[in-house]
Amino acid sequence: MKAFEWVSPASVEEAVSLLKSAPASKDVDEAARPLAGGQDLLTTMKDYLTRPVRVVNLKGIRGLDRVEGDGKKGLRLGALVTLAQVEEHAGIRRDFPGLAEAAHSVATQQIRNLGTVGGNLCQRPRCWYYRLEEAVCIKKGGSECFAATGENKYNAIFGGGPSWIVHPSDLAPMLVALGASVNVSGPDGRRAIPLEKFFTLPSEGSIRRENVLKNDELITEVTVPASPFAARSTYLKFKERESLDFALSSVAAAVELGPDKRVRQARIVLGGVAPVPWRVPKAEEFLKGRALDAESLAGAARLALEGAEPLSQNAYKIPLTQTLVRRALAKAGGVSA
Amino acid sequence: MQQQSPAKKKKKIKVPRVVNGVDTLVEIEVDDDGSVAWGPNDKHALLNHRLPRVDGHVKVSGAAEYTHDRRPPGMLYGRVLRSPHAHARVLKVDASAARGIPGVKAVVASTDDPARKELVVLFAGQPVAAVAAETPEIAEDALRAIRVDYEVLPHLVRAEDSVKEGAPKVFADPKEPNVEPRDKRGDASKVAEALKGADVVVEAEYRTPIIHHSSLETHGNVVDYRGGEEATVYASTQGTFTIPGDAAQELGLKESAVRAVVEHMGGGFGSKFGIGVEGMLACQLSKQAKAPVHLMLTRKDEFLLAGNRSGSWQKFKAGATKDGTLVALHAVQYRLGGLGDGSQAGQPYIYAAANAYREGYSIHTHEDASRAMRAPGHPQASFAVESLMDELAYKLGMDAVEFRKKNLKDAVYHRQLDRGAREIGWGRRNKTPGAGAGPLKRGMGCGIGTWGGGGNDECKVDVTVARDGSVSVAVGTQDLGTGTRTYTRAIVAEELGLQIKDVAERIGDSRLGSANSSGGSTTAASLAPSVKDAAVKARLAVAERLSPLLGGAKPEEITFSNGGVSGGGKTLSWRQACAALPAAGVTGHGVWQTSLAGRGVHGVCFAEVEVDVETGRVRPIKMVHVQDIGLPLNRLAVESQMNGGMIQSLGMALWEGRVMDAKLGLQLNPGFGDYKLPGALEMPELVPLIDDEDTREAVIGVGEPSIIPAVGAVANAVHNACGVRVRELPITPDKILMGLLSERRGA
Repeated sequence: MKAFEWVSPASVEEAVSLLKSAPASKDVDEAARPLAGGQDLLTTMKDYLTRPVRVVNLKGIRGLDRVEGDGKKGLRLGALVTLAQVEEHAGIRRDFPGLAEAAHSVATQQIRNLGTVGGNLCQRPRCWYYRLEEAVCIKKGGSECFAATGENKYNAIFGGGPSWIVHPSDLAPMLVALGASVNVSGPDGRRAIPLEKFFTLPSEGSIRRENVLKNDELITEVTVPASPFAARSTYLKFKERESLDFALSSVAAAVELGPDKRVRQARIVLGGVAPVPWRVPKAEEFLKGRALDAESLAGAARLALEGAEPLSQNAYKIPLTQTLVRRALAKAGGVSA
Repeated sequence: MQQQSPAKKKKKIKVPRVVNGVDTLVEIEVDDDGSVAWGPNDKHALLNHRLPRVDGHVKVSGAAEYTHDRRPPGMLYGRVLRSPHAHARVLKVDASAARGIPGVKAVVASTDDPARKELVVLFAGQPVAAVAAETPEIAEDALRAIRVDYEVLPHLVRAEDSVKEGAPKVFADPKEPNVEPRDKRGDASKVAEALKGADVVVEAEYRTPIIHHSSLETHGNVVDYRGGEEATVYASTQGTFTIPGDAAQELGLKESAVRAVVEHMGGGFGSKFGIGVEGMLACQLSKQAKAPVHLMLTRKDEFLLAGNRSGSWQKFKAGATKDGTLVALHAVQYRLGGLGDGSQAGQPYIYAAANAYREGYSIHTHEDASRAMRAPGHPQASFAVESLMDELAYKLGMDAVEFRKKNLKDAVYHRQLDRGAREIGWGRRNKTPGAGAGPLKRGMGCGIGTWGGGGNDECKVDVTVARDGSVSVAVGTQDLGTGTRTYTRAIVAEELGLQIKDVAERIGDSRLGSANSSGGSTTAASLAPSVKDAAVKARLAVAERLSPLLGGAKPEEITFSNGGVSGGGKTLSWRQACAALPAAGVTGHGVWQTSLAGRGVHGVCFAEVEVDVETGRVRPIKMVHVQDIGLPLNRLAVESQMNGGMIQSLGMALWEGRVMDAKLGLQLNPGFGDYKLPGALEMPELVPLIDDEDTREAVIGVGEPSIIPAVGAVANAVHNACGVRVRELPITPDKILMGLLSERRGA
């Protein structure tokens, strides 16, 4: 990795000012970076994909590693809470089971012991063109998305263009499904951003970024509201290799059932298929008032994948994701798929 | 190949003859009944038992010092600058900025030597320069400070592109075309004629991608040269004795002045012979810096420039008659070895076809040259022909095992197929592929392989018994992780009636007795006989000294067992016995004994998998591998080899494969994130079965044979489970899902 300046602030304000005051850089990938668990940042630095002039170590800031609240009051997760904390937390497992499952599905135990909630949401794409130092793709300041016509088995079937990355986070689809927000601190103070608005499509935001965060801003906290569907939430992730892999496709689902076992409301967010967590409102609407049975599950699955635009090698993601939608909804609703 | 027993040892004796009317003595050769022998396989005290690895503790505790762990004082870290282009002319290398970075101590570039011909890089990853610096991070920064001007030339990284009319040339030399004919055998017209008489014909193409060795320890060396007359090279190599010569040439020293040390090494699978380009660069850097240089390839380097198992593309047309007889087989076999020739066993591999024809070619691309990898060319050939045999059997409606037996002459395969079928429960298999309720479908398949092995006369072993009772065995050989250290000790311990802990081994040093490189599964069959010979000689030397103390018993009649030495009605403890030895102890010098090694083995693998037809996931359930091997020196190690073979096959069948971008000419998965080796959660129940009906009293290597048959077995099991025949490895969920989709559309 390129030599950099290492600073360890004691407060969020100090961290923000250290991000802001870092020497100006020509390229956005050379801007100062905050480091939490380092599980993604360090890999991008080792491969020279990012070359930050300054690395701001957040681990010395107190109070960012707490889990507070429960299913009644809502949940507050500090940005430095580790994925291992989330998956092991009794209250989360009880009141937000899908969130514990999403955390558990990430990488390996060793990575989950270090990887943080904030870092997981801000991790960079896994597209192999992006990850290859020699390939200067559109995400790295080049002019072309090589995946569009190249080896695109793992790329997007929704929301693609001019880049076809998929968002790699497992927490993100689940947190979007649960209606979570992130608290962000910057030079102008704090702001809360609904997670659904946090991630940006390549056609909307900066092509070099995957979210609205500015260079001198930090996620400090994730808040998950109490909801009538959180307790019936689940995360299903399909990996090519179970031992350690990112999602070929995943589904975050949550349902609220009435006393008649019919769906009052449903949340369905797809992962691994789009540059952002991909919510499918049509499928959610379709389920309202229906009992979860083979027919309604199939209908929701069909609608969830409606409008998919597969590339040359990833049409398989359609039947695969349909299966995951059916199975996730069935699991969340406590019926058989 | 057929089982071969050791050749009988011969000895020369002089006998009287009348030659031209004159009585004279002439030398003739007769069988030597006094050959060194292992004795019956079921009569060993230590060998053919389950012996825990003697280096197991230091390895799992991290105490073992691998090449990567060496840190001579003052050492620098070397890094290699790779070409980012698959085909380009290097016009200029400017390393001045890199040299100016504090901590950079040496830089070598391909353009340093003005006498050298211009460099045209032929694959992305080819080394162009190298740097040695005080830290790996400084070295990496320095690489990126080197400015290289390239003239980019058109590249080819796909076989289909390389064979096209008017394709650019891979090599500049007109004598090296993109497609080179390799072998041709049989009569194509007879095959065509025989196909007309077949009841079923299958025409199919099978492909396997380039596979990476993925050794735990990357290639590399720590070259300890500080100027002067001598150097030590710590090497991660399969051939201790391949290192000094190569290093000496680069360092400008005499071969005898360079010592190679291979204390522990982290695997090679056929890719680590000689010092390699990385070793040459390490020597050059060390010479320039006058300091030791640690140059171990990064994992990415390892993928890009350290060799690979060649890919394959095999086209068949084959026919069988209703009774299951394979009457005709036409094969066109392409080896995809990048700049290398690649390797592939010729079809119809182990099967007997009444009429067979094959032609083979190497198709070149701008990728690093293939190297030997565990049974070069065999898993590719086995996967293709086993898939083809399965397709024929299903088309005939015949049991896949019965169909194979019908076309296999060697009885060993028949008994192994029966045993494997019993163990996996072949009777439970899906009679109709894809049948069964629910999304989870189970299926079974089998595959077969063969290997030669054998030993040769290269190992010189010393076994020394000291007056204090300690015993050591010394030879320069390397232990690739296969258990060389353990059986080396065990052979000596058994010969002297001792325990494994009573013997110390010294290996991995070019100053010790010479040994062969570990290739072709020849290490055990070359080394073990030499160790045995040395141990026998040491035993006889000890016995000779003890004879007076044991009532004048003949040395060969003195027995060594249970830590005691007996003869003439007396028994001495080992300590008492050794006290009678001279101050320097006694040493037996061992050489290879042809009577102790064999060659020719058979292996059969059965696999059971579960396929989720709604996601395409394949979950391996169970694998059974039956293998003949002669005398298993250490059953635990042999089983471990077989398990490793099954695991590596499983990776090749279901996950692994190099992915190239045709336009960029770059490998897209040069790391363990996207090059997906199976992990712990992918493991099925593994059942390694040693075929003890093979009673040859001979050592045969098992490293390579154990990787061959499982790939086809897994592929056939997937088909049996879900009805989709995936003819291109790896068999990933996308291929299964799209296969099911097109089947549904077809139906």
